[in-house]
Amino acid sequence: MHHLDRLIPALSRGVTLLAVMLLVGLLPWISGRDPAASILRARMGDQNPTPETLAAIREQLGLASGPWEHLTQWLGGLLRCDLGTSWISGTPVLPGIIQALGVSLTLMAAAFGVALLIAVLLCWPTMHRGLRGRDTRSSGAMAATLTAMPEFMLSALFLVVFAIWFGWFPPYGWQGPQHIVLPALALGLPGGGLLGRLLTNAIAATFHERWIATWAVAGFTRGEIARAVLRRSLPALMPQIGMIIVAMTGGAIAVEQVFSIPGLGRAVLGAASAQDLPALQAGILILLLNALMIGVVANLIRLALLGRALHMGALPVPQVHAVHASRRAWLVPCTVLLILLVLVAAGLPRDPFTSQFIRLQAPGLEAPLGADGLGRDVLARVAHGAVSTIGMALIVTLVSLVIGLGMGLMPRLALGPTEVTKATPPTIAALIVVAAMGPSATGAMIAVCAVAWAPLAAHTAALVSEVRAQPHVWLAPVLGVGPLRLIPRSILPAVFWPVLRHAMLRLPGNALALAALGFLGLGPRPPSSEWGLILADALPYVERAPLAVLTPVAALALMSVLGVSLASLARR
Amino acid sequence: MTFLSARDLTVSYPGPRRFLSRGPLSQVLKGVSLSLARGERVGLVGVSGSGKSTLLRCLLALEQVQGGQILCEGRPVEPGSVSALRWYRRLVQYVPQDPIASLEPRMTVAQLVTEPLLRLRVDCTPARRAEEALDSVGLDHRFLMRRPDELSGGQAQRVAIARAIATRPAFLLTDEPVSGLDMTVRAQVVQVLRDLSEAHGTGIVMVSHDISVVAALCHRALVMEAGRIVEDRPMADLLRDPQHPHTRDLLNAAPPMTAAA
Repeated sequence: MHHLDRLIPALSRGVTLLAVMLLVGLLPWISGRDPAASILRARMGDQNPTPETLAAIREQLGLASGPWEHLTQWLGGLLRCDLGTSWISGTPVLPGIIQALGVSLTLMAAAFGVALLIAVLLCWPTMHRGLRGRDTRSSGAMAATLTAMPEFMLSALFLVVFAIWFGWFPPYGWQGPQHIVLPALALGLPGGGLLGRLLTNAIAATFHERWIATWAVAGFTRGEIARAVLRRSLPALMPQIGMIIVAMTGGAIAVEQVFSIPGLGRAVLGAASAQDLPALQAGILILLLNALMIGVVANLIRLALLGRALHMGALPVPQVHAVHASRRAWLVPCTVLLILLVLVAAGLPRDPFTSQFIRLQAPGLEAPLGADGLGRDVLARVAHGAVSTIGMALIVTLVSLVIGLGMGLMPRLALGPTEVTKATPPTIAALIVVAAMGPSATGAMIAVCAVAWAPLAAHTAALVSEVRAQPHVWLAPVLGVGPLRLIPRSILPAVFWPVLRHAMLRLPGNALALAALGFLGLGPRPPSSEWGLILADALPYVERAPLAVLTPVAALALMSVLGVSLASLARR
Repeated sequence: MTFLSARDLTVSYPGPRRFLSRGPLSQVLKGVSLSLARGERVGLVGVSGSGKSTLLRCLLALEQVQGGQILCEGRPVEPGSVSALRWYRRLVQYVPQDPIASLEPRMTVAQLVTEPLLRLRVDCTPARRAEEALDSVGLDHRFLMRRPDELSGGQAQRVAIARAIATRPAFLLTDEPVSGLDMTVRAQVVQVLRDLSEAHGTGIVMVSHDISVVAALCHRALVMEAGRIVEDRPMADLLRDPQHPHTRDLLNAAPPMTAAA
C-alpha cells in the first residue's frame, strides 16, 4: 500500500501526459471532420466534392486507414521529428513551425525584457526604502492595474493610439526592430505588472526578517544586502514567474494576431481556421512543450537559487503581516461596479442586432456611442455583451469551482492534470477545443473551465491538508467516521466558503479569458455581442470609428480593475 | 488478566527530504512492549518527543507500525476500515488533548456525543445514552444544543469525555487531557475520570508530561524516554524511589501536587 502511495503522483503525471498526447494525436478524428473534404475545399475552392475525388485525396495522403493506425503513424513520426504534412499546402509542417517558433521566441524574449524592466521599476521604491531601514509597504495600484489588462486589449489600444493616431510605430508586420516595440509592450506589460507586484510583496516580506538587521549591524554594504534580499525573495516566486511566462505564450497568440506577426500563435490560429489539422496538431504540441520546458527551467532555477538551504532545513520562516483593510479600499471596486451597471442599464433596453443606423455613424443623440461597421448600436452591443460575457464567466466559475473542489480533495491523484493545466494558457486549451468541435460559446467555456479549475484545486488541497491536521478530523476514525463520511461532515464545510470566495474573485479574470477567445475567433460566432467579438469586429474600422473600439476596451479595462481590486481586498 | 497488549512496537518517520532522495529515517518508537489489565489506571509520562503520543496513536490503531503487534483480548489490532475496527472502537475510546479543537465546530453537543453511538452501531437508544453520558460528567440537558464555541475549556473536555464513555468502553486512552485547562478545572476533570473509572471499572491510560497529574489518578506509571519505556512500576514506588535518572528529572520538574492529589 505504501508503494502504491508513492507511485500515485508518478502515475498521475504519466497518465495525464499520455492523455494529452492521445487527445492531440486523435484530433482529426475527434473533430469528426472529413480531412479529405477540408483539403478539397482548401485546394479547389467550392468545387462540389464527389466521392471519387475525396477517395483519391484520402489515398494520396494515406488517410484511408483508421484512427488508431493514423495515431501510431503520427506518434512514430514524432519520434523521427516528422510532424506530418499540411493538408493545405501539402508540404511538411515542421520547417514552417520552426521558423514561426523563432519569431515567437524573439517576441517573447523582448516581452520578457519589458516585463523585467517594469518589475524592476515597480519594486525599486520598496527596495530603496528597505535598504534605508524604513518601513517597507507593498503597494501598487499601478502594478495591479497593469496586471489585469489582457494582452489582446492592450494590443488593440496600442495599435489605435501609437500606430494609428500618433503614427510612431508601424501598425503591423515583422521587418525591423521598430516592429517589435508595440507587440513587446502589449505582451510584456501585464506580466511585468504581476511580476513587479509579486516581487514587491516578497521583498517587503523579506525586509521584515530578522537577519536583515543582523547583517546591517554586522556592516554589510547596501549592495550586498540588496543581493541577499533578492536571492531570498526570488526562489519562492520562480514557479509563479514560470506561470507568467507560460501565460505569455498564450498572450502571444493574440498579440501576433493583432499586429500580423508571422509567429507560431498566428500560424496555429490560421491552421485552426483553415482546418489544417496536421499543422494545428504540430503547433499545439510545440506550444505545450514550450510551456512545460518553461516550468521545468523555472523549477531548476529555483533549486539552484535555494542551494544548500533547501535540504538543510535552514530557510527562515516567512512572517505574516496583517494589513488592515481601509474603508477606502472598497471605493475602487464599488465605483467600477457602478459604472458597469450604468452601462448595462443604459444599453440593455436597446437593440444590439439590427442594423438600424448608417455604418460607422458618429455618436449622437440616437446612438450615444455611435454605430459599428454594420450600423448596429455600439452601446447596446457592449451592454448586451456585458451580460453574455459575465453570464458565461459565471457558468465557467461555478463549473470550475466544482471541478476544483473535486480535484482538491484528492491532490495526489490530481497532480498530473494540475501540472499540465498550469502549463496550458486558456488560448491553447481553446485551440484544442476548437479543433475538436469548432468555435462556439460552449467551446470557449469548456476551454476556460479546463484551465480555470487548477488554482481552485490548489487552494482546496492546501485547505484540506490544514483541516486534516486538526484534531477533530484526525481522530474521526476513533469515532467510527470513515474517510468518505468525513468529506461531507468536516472537510467540505470547512473548505467550501473560502474556495467559493476565491472562485468568485476569479470571475472577472474568466470573463477576460472568454473575451480573449471571442476576440481570436475561438469563441461565440457573430452576430453574438460578446465583448471580445465586438472588439475584433470593430478593429478594422478603428480609424473611422475609434469609439467602437475604445468602448469595449474601456469595458474590458473596467472589468480588469474590478477583478484586481477585489482580489487585493481579499488578500487583506 | 491482560486486556490490551503491545509487543516490540517500532515506528519511524522519514526525516527531512533531501534533493532527489529521502532523508534518513528517525525512529520514534524503538521496540515498545506493554500490557494493560482491565480496570487499571496507567500513567504514561515523558518529555515532549519521547514517543508517548505516537504510542497512543498506535494503540488507537491510527498509526501503521513497522514492527511489532498489538492485541486486544487476543485479537490483533491494526489500522483498517471503519467496519473492520468497530469492535475495537467500542472497547477502546479516546479523550484528546485540545478539547475544543477536537470537537467538530459545526455539530451540537447532542450530535457530537451520539455520533460514535451511531457510527459504531452501539446497541442502545443514542439520545438517551448520550444524556446519560453527559449526566455522568456533570453536564445537564441545557448543554445538548450548544456548539463547541459556546463551551468553556473544562466543559468541552467534559463533552469529549462524555463522547468517549458513551460507548461504555473498557479502556479510555487519554492524551494530556488536562494540560490545556487551568488548575481548578484540572482537578475537576481528573475527579470525573477517577469517578468514572471506579463506577464502571473503566481502565485509563493517561499520557502526560506532568507527573503530578498522573500521580493523582494512576496506579501504575510507565516512563518513556527517546522511544523506549525506561521504567514501569506502581505509582507509589516510582514516587518514593525513582530508579531511572530520567524519572528523577521528571519528578523534579513537576509542580507541587494540586488539590486533586
